Parts: sequence; structure tokens; C-alpha cells
Amino acid sequence: MNNFQFILILLLSPLAQGIIKKIKALMQGRRGAPLFQPYYDLARLFRKDMVIPRTASWIFHAAPYVVFASVLTASTLVPVFYSGGLSAYFKTGGFLGAGDIIVIIYTLALGRFFLALGGLDAGTAFGGEGSSREMTVAILVEPSMMLAIFTAAVASGSTNIGAVAAFGSFFFSPAHVLALAAFFIAVVAETGRIPVDNPDTHLELTMIHEGMLLEYSGKYLALLEWAHYMKQMLLFTLAADLFFPYGIAGAGAGFGIAAAAGFWTIKMLVLCFGMAFVESSRAKIRFFQLPSLLGAAFVLSALSIITFIMTGK
Amino acid sequence: MPKAWVVVYSITDFITIGMLLTVVAMNSLKRMESCLRAYTINSLLLATLMAVSAFYLDAAHLYIAAAVTLASKGVVIPFLLRKVVRDLKITHEVEPNINTPLSLVITSVLVVIVYSSLSKGIFIEGFTENTLKVSISIILISLFTMITRKKAVTQVIGLLLMENGLFLAGFSLTYGMSTIIELGVVFDVLMGAIILGVFLSQIKKTFIDLDLDKLTTLKG
Repeated sequence: MNNFQFILILLLSPLAQGIIKKIKALMQGRRGAPLFQPYYDLARLFRKDMVIPRTASWIFHAAPYVVFASVLTASTLVPVFYSGGLSAYFKTGGFLGAGDIIVIIYTLALGRFFLALGGLDAGTAFGGEGSSREMTVAILVEPSMMLAIFTAAVASGSTNIGAVAAFGSFFFSPAHVLALAAFFIAVVAETGRIPVDNPDTHLELTMIHEGMLLEYSGKYLALLEWAHYMKQMLLFTLAADLFFPYGIAGAGAGFGIAAAAGFWTIKMLVLCFGMAFVESSRAKIRFFQLPSLLGAAFVLSALSIITFIMTGK
Repeated sequence: MPKAWVVVYSITDFITIGMLLTVVAMNSLKRMESCLRAYTINSLLLATLMAVSAFYLDAAHLYIAAAVTLASKGVVIPFLLRKVVRDLKITHEVEPNINTPLSLVITSVLVVIVYSSLSKGIFIEGFTENTLKVSISIILISLFTMITRKKAVTQVIGLLLMENGLFLAGFSLTYGMSTIIELGVVFDVLMGAIILGVFLSQIKKTFIDLDLDKLTTLKG
């Protein structure tokens, strides 16, 4: 069972996207697309023919598969609702089916690298622009994300995500709240949502993620979009595992699978709602203002790890 | 013990970390109104901390101190400053001397220095054991804010935040001085804020601008 949790992420991630869009629409007073619209979009895209730019090399063809595979690999390493349990962790010498957090983050980074290459390979100006911006954002996001993760890792004494999740029967501590805030900003930046990037427009001056996908169509576009949805849900799950793992099965409290799945659903809904709320209430900030936002995230995560190391909570 | 939740949920740590965050946030805020709001939240958290401590320690005089703090720093001073800011028609800080990301990094370095230098030597037991570290960080960061900002209003807010930090430091060491001293300190701060408000208006009237760099030019 450990090894099949990722199927949930694979299948439900478009639904999460649909839920976020629906909440956003409701907040803005629109009726919005149906909840399952992302599935319809993907199904339609998979049936469409592709248009390949004449200048494209093999990288253009490889990028969608690499991106999709890297996100899928990363999601096989994450405990969704079953952490494997601490005792199993010590018995098996650390292998649980759940992976190391650092491996997860850098597997995602591999996908991002290929996505940026794919954007460049198409040979249009917008692709290059999107790629360069994506890499700039990545550089700024990575330290705050890693520091926030390290706070949870130090608190539980392991960088194995299964062990972190299983360990987490703690009360909320100041350090975890700070780290969660930093991680949330990092997730917003990673998933290309509003204060950082606007997922709904193709305005050439502002687009980051859309810029890289601009030349993709048909199956490739479907793969990339799906990978994007999965990455979003994967990061949500990671946030839940790291910072509020209460209710995950296999931990000390001994929750059943059904209860754990219910907790996971609630956590995902809360995160979707938070994301939609941030997107509706904030304006997109200028690209050159990004360093201050992400700098703030970095300071939050740095403060969280300092607080934890110095005060122990 | 029915009051154990104060310690179990580390309430004091949450409140003091919140105060630290508002001070750090001051370094990235550009709008005057937001800076004032940061100061207000900081003062409200300070008052909450005192009320919680009064509850935990069963100390009646701390309730009075909390109420006075709430009234003066949480309501009157922000009100006065907001009035000054609206009268002077200044909405934004000009670009500070050190840019935002760098000053944010410097603040976290300051926190590291304070935490690591106070981790040995000073021992405070009980539920406020981490408060002193946070309060000294607050003092240093507000001092840093006063150095980097150019407008007089933000410097005044920095000064007031520093005073909050000092108050917190004194509180963490003594669990509140006698009421008459607290009242005296609060009255001092109130007077200070009023005088600084008048002073700001005078600077604005004489120099047309509140940018303190311009004070170096002579005026007859």
C-alpha cells in the first residue's frame, strides 16, 4: 500500500486544480467552470494533433516526458496518508517506501530544468523569457524552501519524509508556524500562482510558466499541464506531511486508513482554499519586486530554524 | 494545574515571535499606514503577553499594566501618529538606505547574533525563558530600522518599537515593575509621541519634506 499512494496524487491533482479555480470564481462572484473541467481539458488535449516548431530538437520532444516522469517519481516518494510508521522506519534501517525530502525537492528541480530547456528549445522569444524568469524564481525559492524543510527535519531528527510525518504528533510550535508560512510562500512561487505569476493569462510581459509552455500543443501540452497539477498537489501533500501531519496513518496515534484519507482530504481542501484566497485577494507583484517577497520567505524560514535550534520549540 | 495550557501550548513563545515578526516586517513595508499597523499589532501583542502573564502568575498589577499598555500603545499613539501621517500627506517611504532584501538578511543575522550570544551565561527559568532573547533582537532590529529609513515618521515608529522591546526585556526579567513605575514609563512614551508628532509637523513646515537627509542643508 505504501507504494501505491501516489496514484491518488496522479488521479486527483486535476480535481484539486478544478477546486481552486471554482473557489476563486465563487470569490470573484462568477459561476466558474465545472469542477471536472481540468479532466475534460486534459482528455481533449490528449486527442489533439501536435504542432512542432521547425527549429525544435530532441530536447523539445524529451522535455514533457522528463517533466512528467520526474514529478511522478517525486510523488512515489511522498507519504500521502500512510507514513509507514516510526517502528518500521527503525526496523528497516530507514527505508519505508517514503523517500528523503532532499531527493524529492531535487527530483522536482530536474523536471524544472528540462521544462526551462524545452521552453528555450522552441526558439521563440517568449519561451526564453519564461525560462529565464523561471530559473530566477527557482534560485530565490530554493533556499527558503530547503530551510523551512530543515526545520521540520531537525525537529523530527530525520530527513526521511515518512519519519518526519510519523514523528509529528507534536503540538504546533512557533518554529513550525514560521516554517509553514515560509513554505507556503515558496509553494505559491513554485506553482506559479498570483503574487508571483498569473496562471490565467498569456500576457507577454508577465507570464512565467505559460511562457515556457507556449509552443507546446496536443499530447505534450497535456503532459506538461498534468505534471503541473501533480506538482501542485505534491507540494500541498508535502506541506501537510511536514507541518501538520496529525492524523496520518501509521503514526503513533494509530489512525486507520479511512480516517487518514479523510484527514488528508480535509488538509488538501484547506490548502486549496488558502491558495484561492491568496489568489483572489492579492495583486500580482512586479517581477523585480519578487526578491523582497521571496526574501521575506527566506527570513521567515531562517527565523524558524534559528528559533527551533535555540529554544527547542 | 488548570493554567498549564499557557506553558503546554507555548503561548508566550507564539506571542513574542509574533512581536519579532512585526518588527522584521517593518523592514520590508513601504507604506506608512502598514508601518503603523505593524506597530499597532506589536503593541497589542505586548498587551496580550502581559495579560496572559497576569493570568498565569495571578498578579493583579499586571492586569493594570496590560490595560494601560493597550490603551496607550495600542490605541492612543497609533491614533495620534495616523493623524500626523494624514495631515502631512505622506504615504510612502522613499527607497531606504539599504535595499529591502539585504536589510531582511541583516535582520536575520542580528537575530542569530543575539540568540547565540545570549544562549550562554544568562539563565532565566520559567515560562518567559526565551522572551529576553526576542526582546533584545527587537531592540536591535528597530535600531537598524531607524538607521536605514530616511523619513522621520518611520524613524519615530522605529523608536517606539524599540521602546516596546525595552519594555518586553524589563518585563521578562522582573515580571513587571510596580504599577507607578509602569505608569510613569507609559506616560513618558505618550508625551514623547506627542512631542515627536509636533516636531514632525515643524520639520515638514520648514523643509517641505520629511526626508531627514535634507536636514543637513542650512536654513535661516
